[in-house]
Amino acid sequence: MANIDIDAPGTSQLLIGNEAIARGALEAGIGFAAAYPGTPSSEILGTLAQAAKEMGIYAEWSVNEKVAMEAAAGASFAGIRALASMKQNGINVVSDFLANLVMSGIGKGGLVLVSCDDPSAISSSNEQDTRPIAKWLDIPLVEPGDFQETKDMTRWLFDLAEELGTLCMLRSVTRIAHARGNVRLGELPKKQLNAYFDQIHDLKSVMPTTFMPIPSPLRHSFLHMKMDKARERFEGSAFNRYVGPNKADLLIITCGSCWLYSQDAVKALKLEDRVGILKLGTLWPLPEKFIGEHLDKSEKLLFVEEIDPFLERSVMEMVANLPPSSPRPIFYGKRSGHVNAYGELNPDRVIKAISTILGLAYQPRDIEYRKKAEAFAKSNVPERTMTFCAGCPHRATFWAIKNALKLDGRGGVVTGDIGCYSMALGPTGFFQVRTMHCMGGGAGVANGLGKLGQFGFDQPVLAVVGDSTFYHATIPALINGVYNQSDFILVILDNSATAMTGFQPHPGTGMTAMGEPTKVVSMEALCCSLGTHVEVCDPFELKGTIATLLEMMAEGGGAKVAIMRRQCELVRAKKEKPPYRVHVDPEKCIGEACGCDRLCTRVFLCPGLIWDKKANRSKIDEVICTGCGLCVDVCPQGAIIKEAV
Amino acid sequence: MATEAKGCKELFSEVIETGLCALCGACTGTCPYLVYYKGRIALLDNCALLKGQCYEYCPRTYIGMDVISQQVFGVPYSEEELGTAKEMLMARSTDTSMREKVQYGGAVTTLLSLALAEGFIDGAVLTRTSDDKTPSPFLAQSADEVLQCTGSSYMACPVLGRYNQIPKDNGNKLGIVAMPCQVLAVAKMKKDPPENRASIGNVKLVIGLFCTWALSPDRFYQFLKENLDLSKVKKFDIPPPPANRFDVYTASGRTSFPLEQIRKFTMPTCTYCLDMTSEFADISVGSVEGIGGWNTVIIRTDIGADLVEMAKKKGKLQIGKLPSTNLTHLKEASLLKKKRALNEIVKKSGDKNNLLYVGLSPRLADKLLA
Amino acid sequence: MTQKQLVKDPLNLIITGVGGQGNVMISLIIGNAFVREGYFVTLGETYGASQRGGPVMSHMRISKETQYSPFIPDGCADIILGMEPVETLRMLGRYGNPNVITIINPRPIYSIDVIGGQAEYPDLHKLVESVKELSAKTWIINATEEAQKMGSHMFANAILIGALVGSGVLPLDKKSVEPVLREIFPKEITANLAAFNKGIKLVRS
Repeated sequence: MANIDIDAPGTSQLLIGNEAIARGALEAGIGFAAAYPGTPSSEILGTLAQAAKEMGIYAEWSVNEKVAMEAAAGASFAGIRALASMKQNGINVVSDFLANLVMSGIGKGGLVLVSCDDPSAISSSNEQDTRPIAKWLDIPLVEPGDFQETKDMTRWLFDLAEELGTLCMLRSVTRIAHARGNVRLGELPKKQLNAYFDQIHDLKSVMPTTFMPIPSPLRHSFLHMKMDKARERFEGSAFNRYVGPNKADLLIITCGSCWLYSQDAVKALKLEDRVGILKLGTLWPLPEKFIGEHLDKSEKLLFVEEIDPFLERSVMEMVANLPPSSPRPIFYGKRSGHVNAYGELNPDRVIKAISTILGLAYQPRDIEYRKKAEAFAKSNVPERTMTFCAGCPHRATFWAIKNALKLDGRGGVVTGDIGCYSMALGPTGFFQVRTMHCMGGGAGVANGLGKLGQFGFDQPVLAVVGDSTFYHATIPALINGVYNQSDFILVILDNSATAMTGFQPHPGTGMTAMGEPTKVVSMEALCCSLGTHVEVCDPFELKGTIATLLEMMAEGGGAKVAIMRRQCELVRAKKEKPPYRVHVDPEKCIGEACGCDRLCTRVFLCPGLIWDKKANRSKIDEVICTGCGLCVDVCPQGAIIKEAV
Repeated sequence: MATEAKGCKELFSEVIETGLCALCGACTGTCPYLVYYKGRIALLDNCALLKGQCYEYCPRTYIGMDVISQQVFGVPYSEEELGTAKEMLMARSTDTSMREKVQYGGAVTTLLSLALAEGFIDGAVLTRTSDDKTPSPFLAQSADEVLQCTGSSYMACPVLGRYNQIPKDNGNKLGIVAMPCQVLAVAKMKKDPPENRASIGNVKLVIGLFCTWALSPDRFYQFLKENLDLSKVKKFDIPPPPANRFDVYTASGRTSFPLEQIRKFTMPTCTYCLDMTSEFADISVGSVEGIGGWNTVIIRTDIGADLVEMAKKKGKLQIGKLPSTNLTHLKEASLLKKKRALNEIVKKSGDKNNLLYVGLSPRLADKLLA
Repeated sequence: MTQKQLVKDPLNLIITGVGGQGNVMISLIIGNAFVREGYFVTLGETYGASQRGGPVMSHMRISKETQYSPFIPDGCADIILGMEPVETLRMLGRYGNPNVITIINPRPIYSIDVIGGQAEYPDLHKLVESVKELSAKTWIINATEEAQKMGSHMFANAILIGALVGSGVLPLDKKSVEPVLREIFPKEITANLAAFNKGIKLVRS
């Protein structure tokens, strides 16, 4: 990752959107940053934590987004500029706190919330647009349209938050957060920060913008005043601009990443003098006057945004309130079907929308070539389904779970959660996981299933959860299972990392975000303190793990815990050499014959073990194989050999 | 029939899910997909092969009785009640200390020990009843180990699964002590030798046991656990009619259950089994009705004859003439089982001409169904 | 020969492979080299879940004028660097055109769909022929093979960067790329530089 603390104002760096946010926060002089890893937001805290010591700030991975948000608010109450960042699901987790925070207001330190959405749910369990929370709870909202703006908006937002006395929100998406672009750096502050919690004694001296935790409907009216002020600021903001002719055949109203797509699309169609683009950076409160000034540029409006028709509906509301004599433009967007109502956008989708509305043809490449290229690709490009890495302990865990459930024979149910192990919904985890919702959702659902015995339910219930997810959200559900005596086994997949998001540390790893050693919060000590049956297994010891699971499934007596402990392979490989050199003995391998039928490749599905069609034998792919040796115990003929390295 | 490609899928749809599975173990221990666990055959993953040895050697998939009989004896399937037999006699071990541990006369234990001592076999696959009274397959490789395997639990045990696990390249000579269903499976293997296992040619001696029915190792075991302290049990026994009891012997004496109560735990497959005396073994062994402490021994092959002769010569076995009433009763019982079974099969299939897995000549079938 | 300026603006470069191969590293190096030469660079990547053995692609837009979006429109790739054969063809299917220039490392990585038997990996020779047919010019660089000769398949990335730079399709030369290589490759810099030079040699032979 880039060094975002480079003291070189004016120079241009190639930064991802998240690094630009981190840099913007540093330039704004923050002292405190907290987050929970979540794609596509993780690098914000990650880079701040890397630069923290050097910059004299504090950055932490909190146990979940709620605590992160609350901790950042704490810093703000004590006069320190603070930032909390998260993916779209984090917004759901912090919503109760936010609903109260907008009432109390923030402290003297500006507080900024960054939400990174994941259109098309490329790395998420759900697809969700978080912008509507700004409308729902009254939070000033901005969305950057390119990488420079991402930094500049973040930098500015702290000033705005302090001026208004309320939390401000910046919304980003994957294609900005994880894409790289040119960013010109600004100055880094050299101020010494001082924290102090001001205890207000004279209530009469309190301004509407001052932090005041006493709940009262009056605070709600103050919030409205703050939003009016915000709208004023937004009307004159340089983050909103128009590009295009004075009179256009089509006016695109856009924001965020779609600003770049719209520009690409107009250029590709060579319509710079026919199509105008109204780019909004400040989204809520809506800068109605600014928008109103451009509405007469065209009869046709095309809304290009991700994911929900947020701008589209807001502008529609605005237009409905205009005097009856005002022009009534035609709205094109998600409601009309010209822009996809789910999934991410890209230049081609915008090109299609524009061409359809204006009745144009678009042919980027020779038709014959296109037909040939698509035909070649269709018949020669096999699927590439996501898989656990070679050496991943989850493969062993789900192999053990699969076998244990089949031996048990009662049709056991596995509820799932969020992490790399979510892939066990698919072939790589032998389709073992049957439900997946939010962080901690698996254990919650298991609680319900585990109490259905009186209705004839006798299927064993396993809830799989990652180590980081365990600390984040699962402990209350486990307590519930012990207290209400629900029959399920919480299977904690302890690979000592928050792996899927980039191997961030968590309370079980003994390391903080800033690289400092710290107390280990032992998960087995925690679980044992609940007075329930706790086992720790090495999933690579397949026989023992299967036996433990079978025993626990036959037990009954409320919730219990089985910890599957083995380090993530990618983390291990960074520190150590491969433990074994593995190869297949072609003499012993019987491949497709009765007695095996290619168990290792057809069923076990490790990407490091491939099927050599010509030789009719399995083979190790030495580029992919990590030498973990698990397949040795899977082969029914003992044909896979491992030698200690 | 036998030539159609059938595998694991059909094994389940035609045998395991229709109540025909005898838990003989012939389909287990040889591939990673089929595993015996707590009274059932579990399928760990789908095998995609269309043709499988699991189906081929199952004693409840099609058996051409004449073809198998030709393989084992060189003659078509016998119409005699007790099957192809050279001689029927009574026998018991001459070792009195051994006689205290065995079920009846100790003939099986004696013959196995002798075969081991003389090097006819290097080991024997049989059932061992552990201290908690669960039966499990066991490979005995010494006389001591054979002695550990005396006594019957009356529950089915997938002994052939243990045979299947013997490594491909292992050349040791083997004996197998088995129930009629298992003996049938071994006979099928002798007809069409399995691949990717230890050679069936290594099996030098098959001792079959008499069997009217076997009890479910899952349900019956549960019943025992609920009603007894299993750690105190020394022996189980079902005395001959008219006793109508299931006896349990402990250090302090004998507890009994009415036989009707125990019959509830019979494996469904036993209703459809024609073979009471393990008709394809080298030697078949059972009790002698009304004469405790002795075995009925049926010698069927030269191998069997040689071994029994040697046991007699070496003074290991005391041989006696089987009383004619016993022989008559045995024949009646055996014939009755064949008739009942075939009638039940026809009821199950719903068609007089569909004998499910049994391949009999129409003449013999008609005779038994009459 | 290395051009001094972009043959077209924006220049659209795709680097494609399988999650875990390291295409992010390659795009970082090339992207940073361009930024230091004063270009606008936009780099779009797939991160996170996609890395777990799924297809990954980096879209690089290089321009003297302005910042382009992180997506190359369909049919508009100018250069494709394919670290894996099937992925190279996947990109050509969607983004190729008669003028595209392709560099391909013909070393298959099998997906679990292929390993499991649900899908077939195409005949490699036919695949490479299709790639050649769909490209204006094709370089076949056996990067994995050469890297293994050097001691580890991990040097393939540096070899491919060398091939890209040495081919002259980008207005970058050794001088502009080497310093970035030194900064970004964390370990074994001597070996990686040797691999980089090997790549230049391979593409020019």
